[in-house]
Amino acid sequence: MANLKEIRNRITSISSTMQITSAMKMVSAAKLRKAQNAVTQMRPYANKLQEILSNVSATLDSSEGIYSTEREIKNVLLVSITSNRGLCGGFNSNVIKTVKRLAETEYQGKNVTVLSIGKKSTDAFKSTKLGIKGTLLPRHAETVWDELTFENSTEIAENLMMQYAEGHQDKIVLVYNQFKNAAVQLVQEEQFLPVLPPEVQEDANSSADYIYEPNKEFIIEEMIPKSLKTQLFKALLDSMASEHGARMTAMHKATDNAKDLQDDLKLVYNKARQASITNEILEIVAGAEALG
Amino acid sequence: MQLEIITPEENIYQGEVDMVNLPGSDGFFGLLDGHAPLVSTLKAGDIKITENGSEKSFTVKGGVVEVNNNKVIVLAE
Repeated sequence: MANLKEIRNRITSISSTMQITSAMKMVSAAKLRKAQNAVTQMRPYANKLQEILSNVSATLDSSEGIYSTEREIKNVLLVSITSNRGLCGGFNSNVIKTVKRLAETEYQGKNVTVLSIGKKSTDAFKSTKLGIKGTLLPRHAETVWDELTFENSTEIAENLMMQYAEGHQDKIVLVYNQFKNAAVQLVQEEQFLPVLPPEVQEDANSSADYIYEPNKEFIIEEMIPKSLKTQLFKALLDSMASEHGARMTAMHKATDNAKDLQDDLKLVYNKARQASITNEILEIVAGAEALG
Repeated sequence: MQLEIITPEENIYQGEVDMVNLPGSDGFFGLLDGHAPLVSTLKAGDIKITENGSEKSFTVKGGVVEVNNNKVIVLAE
């Protein structure tokens, strides 16, 4: 049986780990609430934009724009959205796994590059041949998590649109964690470019006779980039909420584990303590007998 | 008429207004009560709101506006 001091040290070390994990859980819970608010805040904007876009394009053939023409797919860009920090369960590795799977199966034989948003993905892909090279990397791809604003995400979105428009890439796919609830995140693969034709809602108030200012084509051309920026921003927000949800769950489990471990060790410690007391008494009694 | 100004990050204005002036792609235009349904894009500029005689102003980088059923929705950036 391990000696008393050793067990005591282990108990102390486990309880300090427990303090850290439970603090991290609390912080994640607070951040999760903030991230969820941000998702809720942007929903009306995204919905309205989608509604107008589908209203306008319902009466217009929109397969002509620079962002919606389908080309033969030679170069594929996978945007791998992970977090900068770890300790959040399978959150990052799920995305990285999916990206690798896509590169090896669906886009096998194509020229695949990976754009990493978040340090974890950068680390995973920097030693492979998939990592993005050269000057095409958006400046904010790493720092976007420091302060996630629409403006920062717009810069990345504009970079992606530029790469598509100039023909560097023929297809761009976002891979990210979609937020279901604090415990469940779903890895999503979402086509970013070329633009998928917006779903036409049958019951949309297309009966209203809108005046289009200056004209429909111009509005569509202006709105598609907006909708792309919104799509990326939404993916980033979703990923952020998922990250905090995943970390909260992971830390909760870690705290529970530590608690179990601590209880077990306390039992062992008390047994060892009692055994040592029994031994001492035995020695005293034996000594007294020997003297008598 | 009802006015809502929404950005991707927040809802910056919501309320009853008398008139709103918008920086349309083809130049400034004003919207009054009972305007016909309209969709227009905006360019960078100021949105000016008149409510009960007082004026308010927001600066936008661009956006879209939709008018329907006496409700104006501005999606701003």
